[in-house]
Amino acid sequence: MLKINNLSANVEDKSILKDFSLNINPGEVHAIMGPNGSGKSTLSNILSGKKGYEISGEVLFENNNLFELETEERAHKGIFLAFQYPLEIPGVNTNIFLKTSLNAIRKAKGEKELDAIEFLKLVKEKARELKFDEEKLNRQLNVGFSGGEKKKNEILQMSMLSPKLSILDETDSGLDIDALKVVSDGVNTLRSKDNSFLIITHYQRLLDYIKPDFVHVLMNGRIIKSGGPELALELEKKGYENFN
Amino acid sequence: MTEQIKTDFEKIVKTSAFSEKDVELKKMYLNKFLETGFPTRKLENWKFSDLSQIIKKNIGELSFYNDYSFPYKVDTSIFIEGLEHNKIVFINGRVEKVDFTHEDHDKIEINDDFKFVDRLEDNNSLLSLNNAFTNKCFKITVKKNYSLKKPLVVYHSTNNKISSRNINLKLEFQLEQNSSLRLIDLFNDGAENNFINIFYNFDLKENAILKNYKIDKVQNKNIRYSYNNIEQDNNSVSETFVLSSGSNFSKNEINCNLKGEYSSAFVNGIFSLNDGQHHEVRTTINHLVENTKSYQLIKSVLGKNSKSAYQGKIFVDSKAQKTDGYQLSKAILLDETSEFNAKPELEIYADDVKCSHGSASGSLDENSIFYLMSRGLNYQQSKELLINGFLLDVVEKITDTEIKNLVKNMIGLKE
Repeated sequence: MLKINNLSANVEDKSILKDFSLNINPGEVHAIMGPNGSGKSTLSNILSGKKGYEISGEVLFENNNLFELETEERAHKGIFLAFQYPLEIPGVNTNIFLKTSLNAIRKAKGEKELDAIEFLKLVKEKARELKFDEEKLNRQLNVGFSGGEKKKNEILQMSMLSPKLSILDETDSGLDIDALKVVSDGVNTLRSKDNSFLIITHYQRLLDYIKPDFVHVLMNGRIIKSGGPELALELEKKGYENFN
Repeated sequence: MTEQIKTDFEKIVKTSAFSEKDVELKKMYLNKFLETGFPTRKLENWKFSDLSQIIKKNIGELSFYNDYSFPYKVDTSIFIEGLEHNKIVFINGRVEKVDFTHEDHDKIEINDDFKFVDRLEDNNSLLSLNNAFTNKCFKITVKKNYSLKKPLVVYHSTNNKISSRNINLKLEFQLEQNSSLRLIDLFNDGAENNFINIFYNFDLKENAILKNYKIDKVQNKNIRYSYNNIEQDNNSVSETFVLSSGSNFSKNEINCNLKGEYSSAFVNGIFSLNDGQHHEVRTTINHLVENTKSYQLIKSVLGKNSKSAYQGKIFVDSKAQKTDGYQLSKAILLDETSEFNAKPELEIYADDVKCSHGSASGSLDENSIFYLMSRGLNYQQSKELLINGFLLDVVEKITDTEIKNLVKNMIGLKE
């Protein structure tokens, strides 16, 4: 599904990712762990199409050259990024935003756009599953939401859009244990033989709830080791500094 | 200009039925105008908008004569649909229709030969120009304890019969005790390159409520100046909303005298400008007695080569303890050629007051755009959503729900 071959990325002459390669097949859950500044967020930004990076290498998503697609086209094709810091958008109603987003993607896929009633039914159902306060759906997008609510909102969007590849950028940071469980349930519900996940995290904790198939350790822009879930435990024990 | 204006003035005097006394008065105003002419940037009030240059550049020679002897046909398609309302229709400066069908006629008084007593600031040359040339001045009185059932819409229309003209309008409103008026000014211009000069005077008695919504939305090549003077007695409320978007140049001045305790003034405005447009709002809120309040919120969205200015003055007299004054302006600059000027001015002579001001400008937040695009919205949709969101809280300040929805529809804002 996703093939990253020798991806290098620089920002203003600073090299962030170096010859990074990764292959994600349909249905797989990959976790990338790494210390601050190892290039984790850069990776998720580049996959979603954020501008401002000097890039070389190749990224294929279902055999499409990702670098030829705009940010919204990547979303249309099924890539979703749950932001580490979801943005507050004043004056934009959460429901309206969700509906616009969902219908933009449905339209691009050639599916029928949802009308207001169909949409509300769906969003209410998803909000209930995620224990997301329905009243917040009528508020301005993320404005005045707590850190946990913002992250839940990301997962709500993910489950509404049911993407093929979900990238979770430190979704666990700032979540209490209950919220962590709810968020993980949201992810696990979406798991299927067709949907893949790339989970970026500092901590092993999240991986207790979302069992990854593969764990990769990212340091200084390179994957230095890959393995199964046991790698996360080892990392947790040793710490990043002593890992090499 | 001097020769032209004098010739035009003589022509008007000859063809109209002004009394000798009126003519003398008008002549006095004409001379007063001629002493200074159109305002230039040398005047502090006009430092961001040199009207003299703007007229010269966009119009060239102005003509001051308007033939008001023949009526124009009223094009009913300009009327707002879906909102029952009273009407005053101006076409090229001539009153063509005055219609208060929805109201109790004992409760309002319309006087069409009102003699204007000049109570406004007399160092404004545009007021002198207006006094010299206004053809007819209407005075509308809303009597004690009466609230107009429906809004009054003043249609300011021009058609292609005129060009390079100066048009002067004046309306006087008196709101007696416990009365209220919702007033919409709708600008609808088919004519180009005219200078339109409008003066309104409002007198709000105790407990009176005025809501004035000025909507300049239709793209046009005119230059517009509009002055609202609002006198406020005890416990009266004025709410002014300005949508400044259509004209080539526009300056709205709002002068509020809070001279009764517990009176309050609200001014909210949106500038949405593009290609070469240049708009300004200048407010002066005079807090003259204790316990008065003012609130102002102005937001700009500025496209290529456009410019907006907000000069907001809050004056607090030494008697005006417990004043609460607030103003905030924000601008989004969509292009490197866009320009926003803010000049907050606080002049405070009392010591127990709460006054604050703020101003911020910047470009659209690229991270927010990326966030929205990562959810499948294209660049244009993302940009529009952010701009709508930015402007929405100004529109939300409109306290009349019916008119708020009307304005939302007009500018394509979705909730």
